Amino acid sequence: MSSDAVKKRKPKVVRNEAGTPETKRSRAEGDQEVRVYNEEVELEDRDPQQDYMLYKDTCADLAKLMAEIQELKSSGAKVGSVEIEERHRQCSVHFITLKKLNRLAHMRLKKGRDQTHEAKQRVDVLHLQLQNLLYEVMHLQKEISKCLEFKSQHEEIELVSEEEFFQEAPAEISRPHVTRDDNHQLTLARLDWELEQRKRLAEQYKMSLARKEKIQKAIEQKREYLSSLQPGLQNIMQASLPVQEYLSMPFEQMQKQAEVARHLPPPLYVLLVQAAAYGQACDKTLSVNISGDVDEAKALSRRPEDSQEDESDSDAEEEQQNTKRRRATVGVQLEDKRKAMLRRHPLSLCVDLKCKDGSVLHLFFYYLMNLNILTVKTKVSTATDLSGAVSAGELLNSESLLNCLYASDHGKETPNPANRYQFDKVGITTFADYVSDLGHPYVWVQKLGGLQFSSDGAQSELRGSALSASHMEKTMKLLRGRLQARLALHKQFSSLEHSIIPVSSECQHLFPAKVVSGLTRWTMMSYQEFTELGFVQHVLKAGLVCETDLFFMAVVERGTARLLAAVVLNPRYPEVMPLFSLSLHWKGERSGRTEDNLRAMESEVNVFRAELQGPRPGLQLLTNQIQRLCVCLDVYLETESQVCDGSEGPREFPREKMCLRTARGPSRLKPFKYNHPQGFFSHR
Amino acid sequence: MFISLQLLHMSVFSQSFSPCGRFLAAGNNYGEIAVFSLSAALSPDASEASQKPILNFTAHDGPVFSLLSTDTHLLSAGNGEISAWSWAELIKKVRISCSVNDNSLIVGGGDNNIHIMDMETGIFKSVLKGHTDYIHCLCFKEREEEILSGGEDGAVRIWDARTNRPVHCIEVFKYEECARPQFGKWISCLATDSDWMLCGGGPSLSLWHLRSMSPTSVFPLPGCQREAVFYQDLIMSVGEGPHVSHCLHGGTVKAQIPCTPSSLNTLALNLKNSEHRVMTVGGSSHQIDVFTNFSYRAFSLSF
Repeated sequence: MSSDAVKKRKPKVVRNEAGTPETKRSRAEGDQEVRVYNEEVELEDRDPQQDYMLYKDTCADLAKLMAEIQELKSSGAKVGSVEIEERHRQCSVHFITLKKLNRLAHMRLKKGRDQTHEAKQRVDVLHLQLQNLLYEVMHLQKEISKCLEFKSQHEEIELVSEEEFFQEAPAEISRPHVTRDDNHQLTLARLDWELEQRKRLAEQYKMSLARKEKIQKAIEQKREYLSSLQPGLQNIMQASLPVQEYLSMPFEQMQKQAEVARHLPPPLYVLLVQAAAYGQACDKTLSVNISGDVDEAKALSRRPEDSQEDESDSDAEEEQQNTKRRRATVGVQLEDKRKAMLRRHPLSLCVDLKCKDGSVLHLFFYYLMNLNILTVKTKVSTATDLSGAVSAGELLNSESLLNCLYASDHGKETPNPANRYQFDKVGITTFADYVSDLGHPYVWVQKLGGLQFSSDGAQSELRGSALSASHMEKTMKLLRGRLQARLALHKQFSSLEHSIIPVSSECQHLFPAKVVSGLTRWTMMSYQEFTELGFVQHVLKAGLVCETDLFFMAVVERGTARLLAAVVLNPRYPEVMPLFSLSLHWKGERSGRTEDNLRAMESEVNVFRAELQGPRPGLQLLTNQIQRLCVCLDVYLETESQVCDGSEGPREFPREKMCLRTARGPSRLKPFKYNHPQGFFSHR
Repeated sequence: MFISLQLLHMSVFSQSFSPCGRFLAAGNNYGEIAVFSLSAALSPDASEASQKPILNFTAHDGPVFSLLSTDTHLLSAGNGEISAWSWAELIKKVRISCSVNDNSLIVGGGDNNIHIMDMETGIFKSVLKGHTDYIHCLCFKEREEEILSGGEDGAVRIWDARTNRPVHCIEVFKYEECARPQFGKWISCLATDSDWMLCGGGPSLSLWHLRSMSPTSVFPLPGCQREAVFYQDLIMSVGEGPHVSHCLHGGTVKAQIPCTPSSLNTLALNLKNSEHRVMTVGGSSHQIDVFTNFSYRAFSLSF
């Protein structure tokens, strides 16, 4: 058994304890005749299935034997009995079989493992090779693609087209015989040609630069020369100023004005041009100036659209931001927006109208940029100091001086209908609130600036300068007339307040030499006070009065009789006649409504304009009317024969006037008409 | 409403209806005569425009104090002249002046005399003298062919039209019941209805019986009456004060109808046309009130 055990060792290391070294060597020499126990070879022959069955059988046998031994031992057999010994020997044999089988199994396992390992190794090697190859393939592919993508710098150069090249290049470069076939050669040739050309052009460029430098220097020299002339010219201009004034050809001034005028907004420019033209051509007393901040105007005109858009954008942004941050400033925001909307252009025009007596009407014209309207403010400067007439306070008030220059042109609302929408955005309800600050937007002002709005009644075809020119003369005449009328009224009022009716010598023929009734009071009334008077209701109902009129109260007295006259003076005096309404306090109260004769007196004073207006321009109208009123009162009182208490007593007013007849017609009117030079009174 | 200064100071002094009764002519203090179409103004679809004159022209320099219609013509009296206008032409809105008629025209003038003119020839036939002051009003009694005239001197004179001689003279102011010395003695209105006569002016309006030549009733109207007419059994008069007075023969004032003008100068009744039977009054206003029912004002025509 031990020798078997020894031989079960690895076949390579066959140790043979009992054997001699010779046996070993002989085996090593491959001596085939000695029977070597090679279990491996045996392994190949044996079937593992069979070995397995053998194993099972052996185990079963062993189990059986053990059972038999057990049986025997338990049945009392001796230890060393033959059956037991037999069985022991059989068991041992079985054990040996089992051991062999175990060995075989191990050897099989090892063999399998070795084979697997070997195969694996082979596979690994192949795998590695594959990897290497793949890697190399990839590398090569990359290289190829890189090579394919390579752009040589020469492709970035713009070359002339082939035809041009062949046409222009000299033969030694183009070498058509070679290049026509070979693209590579062609490209090379083209590049050569390009290089040549570039060299040539670089040369030219250098030469041009040099030339430019030279010319630049020459220009500099000339400039310096010119600038040295500038002070000299200035001196000459200064020296010529007195000459200009002497010859009244103010070129300097006009040039300056023209310079500034370039920055005026269009309507003001139209006004300036037309007014200056009119002044030169027709009216030497008219002069036009520009005043205001020119730099601001320049700043405005530099970015007219941008600034407006920016303003509105930035306003919107600011508003958004502000409302997020502080809601309390919405009011301030609105105020700012209003101010922005009502902004005036920094430049304004000043037109001066001089009158013969030395008084001047100053008109200041402003342009409101966002609203696109013109406004005007006025100022009157007089040669003499006007004072003393209390009732005349309103006459030259700059707020109302130009009211109703044309009929119903009050200048309280903006004539541009588009402004309505703009006002709604910023919450302005009436423009009238701002008028005293910004000036009056009269319709004639717009027309003078060439602005025409569709709300005007008469749609004329004129625009711009034509419109301005067509209105200029008439408006200037009206303005001058208005100033003169107001100044005349001022003077008249101051003497009316002293109870003197100033009748000029040209109008003396309208009245008899002796007028007994006298004016005792002349005061101004407000519209409110006027409407409260009882005897004027018919005038109010007739729609002949509006709030812009001026109202006065005159009191004429003679003896116990007192005549109150309420006078409505239209701003357009003397084109529109003042309207008198009468109320007589004498033995009772009578008015034009209750008595026909007073009504006739009213008509005598109110209706006959042609007689009363006196010499042109008709500034005597009011005073003549008042004088006529006094005369009529005289006639009335003297021809009034009735004595209410029935008795015939001495008459208060003896008849002094010569009348043909004291009553005529069904209403028994008195003779109020005075005939000159005979000096008697008759009926109309 | 805007009315001009002229309209504000206008007074209507006289009125006359056309022969057909469809038109009204009115004269004012500016010497203008306006012709209004009554049929248009009275029609159911009348508008403001139909209350305006269809024709308006200047007839005289001075006020037109008197208008009279004959069968074919409208006679207007101004300052010292009488013009005749053909109604046919006026209706067609054209005015020419001519005078053709076979009647006589009695004219009372400012020269204190009454002139009788032959309308066909235009020659004055005769003159009636007697008044000492100018003549305010005239009327004609057809039955007896008598002319009554009242004047500034306070006398009502009755003349015989055939013989042209004065028949009677009544000095109204001498009668105490009528006299009103605080106003004066002048007679400004006369109307006659066969036996009865109305006269008034300075003295109160009074009704006289012509046979007995005495006043039967005196009407207590406050102002001076300028025109009075008999209408059926009523007496209507206008004068100072903005109303038309309706009075009864007995002497009572039945009603006073208010009107637009503050005092009235003329009253006219359109009796020729039964369709347009209206009364119109005019005075110190540019408006002429039209009464379709005599008890109240219907509407106003305007110059």
